[in-house]
Amino acid sequence: MGQPIAVGFFGVVAIWFAITVFRTSSMVRSALALLAVMVALGGIFLALEAEFLGVLQLMMMASEMTIMAIFMVMYMMDPGGLGQMEMTHQKRSAGLVGALGALGGVTLAVFVAWGGGATVPTPTGQLRLLGLEIMGRSMLIFETAGVTILVAMIAATAVAIARWR
Amino acid sequence: MTLTLCLLVGAVLFGIGLYGAFSQTNLVMIMMGVEVMLGAAMLNLVAFWRFLHPQAFSGQMFVLIVMTVMALEAAVGFGLATARFRAKGSVEMEEAAELKG
Repeated sequence: MGQPIAVGFFGVVAIWFAITVFRTSSMVRSALALLAVMVALGGIFLALEAEFLGVLQLMMMASEMTIMAIFMVMYMMDPGGLGQMEMTHQKRSAGLVGALGALGGVTLAVFVAWGGGATVPTPTGQLRLLGLEIMGRSMLIFETAGVTILVAMIAATAVAIARWR
Repeated sequence: MTLTLCLLVGAVLFGIGLYGAFSQTNLVMIMMGVEVMLGAAMLNLVAFWRFLHPQAFSGQMFVLIVMTVMALEAAVGFGLATARFRAKGSVEMEEAAELKG
């Protein structure tokens, strides 16, 4: 009973802050708004009874967005947004593309008969099943993802410290 | 009904992310648009897992992969931003027209 209400509430919060990300001229505020979007998504995950993913989302995004805020302050000419610098281009076509994308998704969401109504395992059962999935059938995928992220970390650092003329 | 609600939220978030990725001039802000889009994709995956296949945990596995992709995107993006900032002194993409083929 409470599930649709919780999902709706966190959904509205997520959409509101997603709009804020691209409307505010302060970089730190927009990084924090993105963090709020991700926290709201974590709330939806928890409301959908995916406890592990919800908590993981909250922890990962809290650290990721904090790092993002630091980088924003480092690389922006006007991180505080005090100069009211124009930071957008091709606003109209971008808005059109965004509206079309959202409209397409909404059409699919509303007009497809998705079915559903299945019951989920208990949190403990979920953890057990996810562990079996990760360490069994999806082991190769999981390991590959780990190695890929390690390679990306090393490569990104190498690019960042390389000497540029 | 809740599934439709989740998909609606995901669709709107995806649209906003698309707008952000196309309209922003700063590399870091473009990455934020991509992050919003990936968040919408994750929401859809969790909703589909919950309401259509709660016994199949490949769905949650897929969410973990998308989270990895988000972290990768941030790492690669910031690596590029650092390189670009050192070479040119800014990450404004309006000034990156020399990358045009």
